[in-house]
Amino acid sequence: MSTAADTPGSAPERRGVFTPELLDRCISCGFCLPACPTYALTGVETSSPRGRINLMRALETGVLADDDPTVREEASFCLGCRACEPVCPAGVQYGPLLEEWRDHLWNGRRRPWKVRPLLWAADSPRRVRAMGMVRRHAGRGREAPGPVNLMLGCFERILYPRVSRNARELVPELAAPAAQGCCGALHAHNGALGRGNELAKEMGEALPGTVVTTAGGCAAHLASVLGPDRVKELSQWLVEREGPPVAAAEGTPADGRPRIGLQDSCHLRNGLGVWREPRELIARVGEYVELPSAAACCGGAGSYAIVRPNDSARVLDQHLDEIADADLDIIAVVNPGCYRQLQQGVKRRRLRTRVLHLAELLARAA
Amino acid sequence: MAATATSAGLGTQLEGIVGADHVRTDEGALVTYSTDATPLQRARPDAVVFPATAEEVAGVLRIANERRVPVVPRGSGTNLSAGTVPHRGGIVLVLTRMNKVKEVSDAELVAVCEPGVRTIELAQAAAAKGLLFPPDPGSQTVATVGGNVAECSGGLRAVKYGVMRDYVLGVEAVLPTGEIIRSGGRLVKDVAGYDLRRLLCGSEGTLAVMTELTLRLVPAPEASGIGMAYFPDLADAARAVSRVLASGVLPVTLEFLDRVCIGAVEDFAHIGLDTSAGALLIFGQDGNPALIERDLQRMAEACEAEGATQVRIAESPEAASEVLEARRTALPALSRLEPLTMLEDATVPRSRIAEMVEFIQEVAERHELKIGTFGHAGDGNLHPTAVLDDADEGAVDRAHAAFDEIFTRAIELDGTITGEHGVGSVKLRYLERQLGADHMALLRRIKAAFDPNGILNPGKLGS
Repeated sequence: MSTAADTPGSAPERRGVFTPELLDRCISCGFCLPACPTYALTGVETSSPRGRINLMRALETGVLADDDPTVREEASFCLGCRACEPVCPAGVQYGPLLEEWRDHLWNGRRRPWKVRPLLWAADSPRRVRAMGMVRRHAGRGREAPGPVNLMLGCFERILYPRVSRNARELVPELAAPAAQGCCGALHAHNGALGRGNELAKEMGEALPGTVVTTAGGCAAHLASVLGPDRVKELSQWLVEREGPPVAAAEGTPADGRPRIGLQDSCHLRNGLGVWREPRELIARVGEYVELPSAAACCGGAGSYAIVRPNDSARVLDQHLDEIADADLDIIAVVNPGCYRQLQQGVKRRRLRTRVLHLAELLARAA
Repeated sequence: MAATATSAGLGTQLEGIVGADHVRTDEGALVTYSTDATPLQRARPDAVVFPATAEEVAGVLRIANERRVPVVPRGSGTNLSAGTVPHRGGIVLVLTRMNKVKEVSDAELVAVCEPGVRTIELAQAAAAKGLLFPPDPGSQTVATVGGNVAECSGGLRAVKYGVMRDYVLGVEAVLPTGEIIRSGGRLVKDVAGYDLRRLLCGSEGTLAVMTELTLRLVPAPEASGIGMAYFPDLADAARAVSRVLASGVLPVTLEFLDRVCIGAVEDFAHIGLDTSAGALLIFGQDGNPALIERDLQRMAEACEAEGATQVRIAESPEAASEVLEARRTALPALSRLEPLTMLEDATVPRSRIAEMVEFIQEVAERHELKIGTFGHAGDGNLHPTAVLDDADEGAVDRAHAAFDEIFTRAIELDGTITGEHGVGSVKLRYLERQLGADHMALLRRIKAAFDPNGILNPGKLGS
């Protein structure tokens, strides 16, 4: 049964789909299984990080073909939340592997049709600006970039323009030139890795110096291209920077403080290791409540909620149960995808909890 | 393989037992169930089946037995001896849907659970009632109770509490011919019949499929504490182990790591280990605080007497658990060093550890291999781990040759080729060296009594 192509170590022919150093890292220990939301849903290893890496290896060595239905399904079923990375003692970088996988499988007409208009819209800075025009986000027409620049986001500036406005109210020194497009995360996560990296570089040119973003997913993608020193997510930047703390807790009466939970941004937490910072900031303005699944993917997962709405809702259910059980006043988010996902879920369940971006939350308390 | 010709009909029959949603025969699924955690070992099954009850397990086994199709039981697939790799194809029987803790009784000090419960979940359920389930193998967050019983796994507390076999009071199991039997139960004393529950414990899925386990619990200790001692060399740490055990202390934990392992673990866990040291011995005790303090002190003195360069006691339970958790990641962390990692678990009497450790170092040098050794020093259970560069042709062969010598030496020292990872398929060829021909023949007769057609995990123990 054991064939040469099945056996790592005997140097099988490689197709060059994956970077060898990334793919060879996995030792199949299985420590990732309990962390994976889709493994939790199915109980089938094929839908786990170790299983998917085995699929990638089979694809790489030609054991499975590009059009294998399981290979295609699993590349799409994966949330891309990267919860498997922090628990991986072998240091497998699953996120980049998934990007390479989708880049190979989803080229051209094979990309899920639902994400194509999103990528088209975000592909050109001009289109992103035009779409944002009707909304009152923080971008100022001809404002020149400063030493620290706020990224307006692509869909965030359309769906949640108040987020960038509030971020700027909190920290007026943030420059927000309108001449900026999309960071390319959407492309990178949806099988257009080359274009995703180009867009990130363009963003780096449009916003020289430090780039502060209110979207965890964008922060992780930008940091992977521009380097983590230049890119900061808002909570991370607020906590790291020197200066007067935002919204100090002193003076707020202990009773009557709102009960606030947080939904981590997966890529912010698992990709950049930022999770303490938003909690620290929330604790300054309310009573922070750690939900059991705070660190787990809410199912929004970028464009996932649009491409696979049913699976996305199944992943969300646990989170909504916990929000309801904890009877939260506010659930805070640090990424627009989570914002939309939780807003819709909270509405569907008719919960009293309000969904707010951390920037909105801090601005309200300030 | 004989099964492929009939596999289309097989799938339909299996679906009749467990439902169409719980049988996978697509190529992709078969690829993902071709491996466990053993490097270089893979073989594709013909079907993957997920039963939910003992009756469904029995139904699957009856079909397989009639058709002479191999069946490989599997939990989370963390096996390190290729025990769950379906080398002869057939059915992989995944038991993770059977994942209920049915009962935790503080009055009787027992837990009853299904085989697919993760071991950590059982431990947590016990802890919620103030009880302890002592076996805590390195993979406890992932591995299942059924798998751990089938492998007779140990863990970091075995020196004081023993291993899985010491906690199995009763099992319900399905024979390869489809009958459901029970052996033992919630009784501490029960000598009616052969001790089949003990026989199934460590039988590596070759005799029967366990579908329910009754496990012994103990009252949770009041507290626990650990200390750490650094040594210039692993052999020094090994001598300290003997001195600790002779000092009248029965520690709960005695773990060591050599220089290679310390570096790899620190690189992953960042808990401030001294990476310049040659070896680290972690010693622990549980019980009441006064006893812990006394025993940790005695163990620290024993370490100093054997030339420890630095000894300290963890100040807080958090710091202690950080060190133990980091120790658990030693194997995967080692794999960061090179693409291929080969791990063994030769075990020797505790008084011979230093000899064995020195021998491993000598073998590694002679075969030009990088071998990191860690292990459960208090049990004499060593995990020499070769980290191999893919580009180094012949490294795998040299590693096999080195482990061959290590096994031989372990047997000479009255040790064993495997302390807790099992024989699986990778160590079957060394087994006769340890047991002898008569013993091997008896194993085969026992196997045939349970499994006349040899369908259950063929090519492993008993074949």
